[in-house]
Amino acid sequence: MIYLSQLVGNPVFDLNGERIGKVNDLGIATGEVFPRVTALAIEGPSKTPFMVSWRKYVESFGESEVRLKVVATDIRFSYLQPSEVLIARDLLNKQIVDTRGARVVRVNDLKLSDTSSSQLRLLGAEVGVRGILRSLSPTLERLVLRAAKSLGRSVPERIIAWNYMDLIDRDLSDVKLSVSHKTLDELHPADIADIIERLDPRLRGQVFAQLDEERAADAIAELDDDAMAAELMGGLNDAAASRMLSEMDPDDAAELVSELDYDKAEKLLRLMGVQERKAINQLLGYREDTAGRIMTSEVVLLPEDASVSDAIRAIGELDDDFESVHYVYLKDEEGRLSGVVGMRALITSDTDARLADISFDDLVTAGPDDDQEDVAKDIAKYNLLAMPVVDDNRHLLGMVTVDDALDVLEEEHEEDLQIAGAGRSDSDRSQAGSNILWLLRSELWFFFWMAGIALLATIIEPQMGLAHTLRFALALPVAVIAARDAVSFTTNFYLEFGPEDEDAPSDLGFMLKGLGLGLLFSAMAILIATGVEAVLSPGRPLDGEGILVGFAAAAISIVVSFLSTPVYLGVLRRRDASNRETSGQVLSSVAMVVAVAVFVVATVLLSGAVLV
Amino acid sequence: MDEKTLKPQAHETPELPLPSRRTRLLAMLSVMGPGILTALAGMDAGGIATFSVMGSNFGFAMLWSDPLTCLLLIVVQETAARMACVTGKGFASLIREQFGIRVSTVAMLATVMSNFAVTVSEFAGIASGMALFGIPVFVSVPIAAVTAWLLTMSGSYRRVEKVLLAISCVFATYIISGFLAKPDWAHAFHDTVIPQLSGDPSYISVLVASIGTTISPYMIFMVSSNVSEKNLGERDIAGQRADNVSGALVSQTIAWFITLTTASVLFPLGIKIADAADAAKALVPLAGQYASAMFAAGLVGASFLAACVMPGITAGAVCEAFGWERGTDRSWKEAPAYRGMVTAISLVAAVIVLVPGADLFGIMMGAQIVNGMLLPVLLVCMVRIASDRRIMGRWANGRTWNLLTWFTIVLVVVLTVVMFAFQAIGY
Repeated sequence: MIYLSQLVGNPVFDLNGERIGKVNDLGIATGEVFPRVTALAIEGPSKTPFMVSWRKYVESFGESEVRLKVVATDIRFSYLQPSEVLIARDLLNKQIVDTRGARVVRVNDLKLSDTSSSQLRLLGAEVGVRGILRSLSPTLERLVLRAAKSLGRSVPERIIAWNYMDLIDRDLSDVKLSVSHKTLDELHPADIADIIERLDPRLRGQVFAQLDEERAADAIAELDDDAMAAELMGGLNDAAASRMLSEMDPDDAAELVSELDYDKAEKLLRLMGVQERKAINQLLGYREDTAGRIMTSEVVLLPEDASVSDAIRAIGELDDDFESVHYVYLKDEEGRLSGVVGMRALITSDTDARLADISFDDLVTAGPDDDQEDVAKDIAKYNLLAMPVVDDNRHLLGMVTVDDALDVLEEEHEEDLQIAGAGRSDSDRSQAGSNILWLLRSELWFFFWMAGIALLATIIEPQMGLAHTLRFALALPVAVIAARDAVSFTTNFYLEFGPEDEDAPSDLGFMLKGLGLGLLFSAMAILIATGVEAVLSPGRPLDGEGILVGFAAAAISIVVSFLSTPVYLGVLRRRDASNRETSGQVLSSVAMVVAVAVFVVATVLLSGAVLV
Repeated sequence: MDEKTLKPQAHETPELPLPSRRTRLLAMLSVMGPGILTALAGMDAGGIATFSVMGSNFGFAMLWSDPLTCLLLIVVQETAARMACVTGKGFASLIREQFGIRVSTVAMLATVMSNFAVTVSEFAGIASGMALFGIPVFVSVPIAAVTAWLLTMSGSYRRVEKVLLAISCVFATYIISGFLAKPDWAHAFHDTVIPQLSGDPSYISVLVASIGTTISPYMIFMVSSNVSEKNLGERDIAGQRADNVSGALVSQTIAWFITLTTASVLFPLGIKIADAADAAKALVPLAGQYASAMFAAGLVGASFLAACVMPGITAGAVCEAFGWERGTDRSWKEAPAYRGMVTAISLVAAVIVLVPGADLFGIMMGAQIVNGMLLPVLLVCMVRIASDRRIMGRWANGRTWNLLTWFTIVLVVVLTVVMFAFQAIGY
């Protein structure tokens, strides 16, 4: 067993013991699981590299030197074959994809093994820390290993065999690979998408270009980040990109096209087949976040009087890339949707039964302009695998499948969480970081309180003195926290009732309710503060020397905060209508800033009035 | 953002609407950022100190060096950005793939050491700047460290970049304080154009420091990783040039104004200062409280900006070189090395500044020494990659650019040696 790091740089001697150069690289034949070393690249005295056949010329090799079978003058040079890969040039130090672990790694060393006296094979690439240590110095590796051993630990090698590597930098598509070579192509599209997301942006494009079209289409539909998908599409040449779009389900393709820039989208659509372009254009005609946008037009629609065998034949004739078939839909003579036949009924019925007789005609349908969230919820409610989308005349336009509905629910859930102020729900984000962030977010009022004190102090401290300023500022947290709560009152209302919800109270009702809450709370704050003041300084008149001025200012600020809830509701709805995400955190920060400002102004006015 | 405007409205038309002109402008602007941000991050605590000292100790006499450093800055940054545009790889990746594991290990070790020391100096800068507003060290440094750490650890690079660019607006304070100082403009411009040489050892050591603090190792990593992160390609090279040149111009203009301020206020009275906080303090009775506050605010903002980017750049480069997962959007589980390193650098640097009686000056000197030794190594790597036609294709360095880079290398080496020599004989 020997490592590439121990071979490269060793002197090469010929039969006479004459030094002819040093080892520069090894060529391997790529056809096997453990590829044979076929060529030795030598760097001659004048720094010119040349290659010789390993099998013909190498007599022996080791950690200190390589000896050849012939004298220098008898050597014939060979050239790199298309099926050969130079392991130091193409593998060492390069990033590769470990297709078994579905990760991107960097090759630190290469492990070779001699299977017979003169035959050397590549066992795999070392990607662990031992490769780094060994390449730095074998002594260092031994020292670390010994140290680890004395601590009772082992540092295992992390070897990736050739058949589980996929090279990123060098396109191996013209190299004939063995059957057993597992390339990126064979991974599940979701795994491919994961790997692609982890690569450097440029490598993304390269790796992506190496995938065959079908895989690429599947993988791009699996990418979480739409912008990244659009960027990858942008990197492809137009013909390939448009072929890929045709390959995808029309709804995924439409989503992707809507992310592309105008010129590109136009060009790609023009290059596509008429049929697919029509499907995509039709979907693009619907507003975002509607059933029309996420539906697929690939549905099986048959006349009512067709038989079961007709249906089975129709399904059999579909293309491979047809969206999966959950139901067969039926239409009457006027082309209106009249019934649905489930797969189970189709399989268990006699082949000559009429579809109309086994169909289920109490259909739940959606219109193309229905909100995608409502459709998804209905799919969940009625336990459907797909919901038909029909136009006003009950002509079938397409269907929304359950997988798209799940995506919708997940997306909406995340948006709701963000509006509710919980931030993104990526559960696998850094724990420590997100805990701290969570804490900071929930205790944001504290920072506004402190900022408010600083502001108040700069404004009134010179005239009123520090003690007074602080006495006033005592009430500030009440105002700030009430502002935060006013926003969460709004977001709760918003999340509970959509704009078109029938049971939702009217906007006026919402406003009055907010105002009522504000007045109630501010009255309570003043009353309790008066009581406390009376306890603190019994017998003294309530002249504004105590904490009351502050609480009066806080009460004003509270009322203002609750009065402005319709504004926040309006912002939430407007942004939702134009499809922008809204962070509840930003809203409540704005509300707290307003509260602090109102409080400071009110305090200045009140205390000034009292003084005068 | 710009895709949104392209979305078709309701049903009326299945065709896509026309793009707005604004979209194209936005596309142009979106290329900008890496160069400006890097150049501004380079104007950090050390930079402000050096340029203040330059003005207070030598007046306008060293203003001429400003255009020169600006040129060198452009050479280095432009090359780094161009390399990243062509290869799509960060500088650490390129070193690893071209020079193997030994060279990259050495380079990474040195980078970690030097960037760590720089981070310490940034926190020291924050501490002394905040102290001028009466805020004690044990308050300012932990808050700054936690904020910087949170900023680097959370969220996408694009968002962080926006925040950092916003922070860098504090640099305007230096230009304002320059005007508040009411300098003799004609004299200043004259001295900017006409070089004045001097054999005075302290003159030379300030000169060395000014080049050392402007062109530092991290900037090569920062530019190239930001560019490759944004996936800019060969057609963005023109935009990158504009970005880097304007970045260098802005940062050196700020440097010029800093020198101008101290030169017109402190130099005539013979007030010598040792660092930036000194300068701000000395400005109070002479240029007024506002000039001084502006100066201090700039110091805090600049140090904070650099303290935000430094740990991330360092960890990113090391992970890139060794093939570990990295990036702000990776969790602890996915990228333990990256997150661990960022955390360790921020934490330890902040703690060192908090330790009473820590030899901050010694640490900064150490940073200078490591920087001085590392920079030529990295620059040689850079020029060799950048002039390799197999890697760079038609974007390889031309002769002039190679010459300029080598000139930079020789200059840095000579100046570093000279500085060590001075230190050895006790200046």
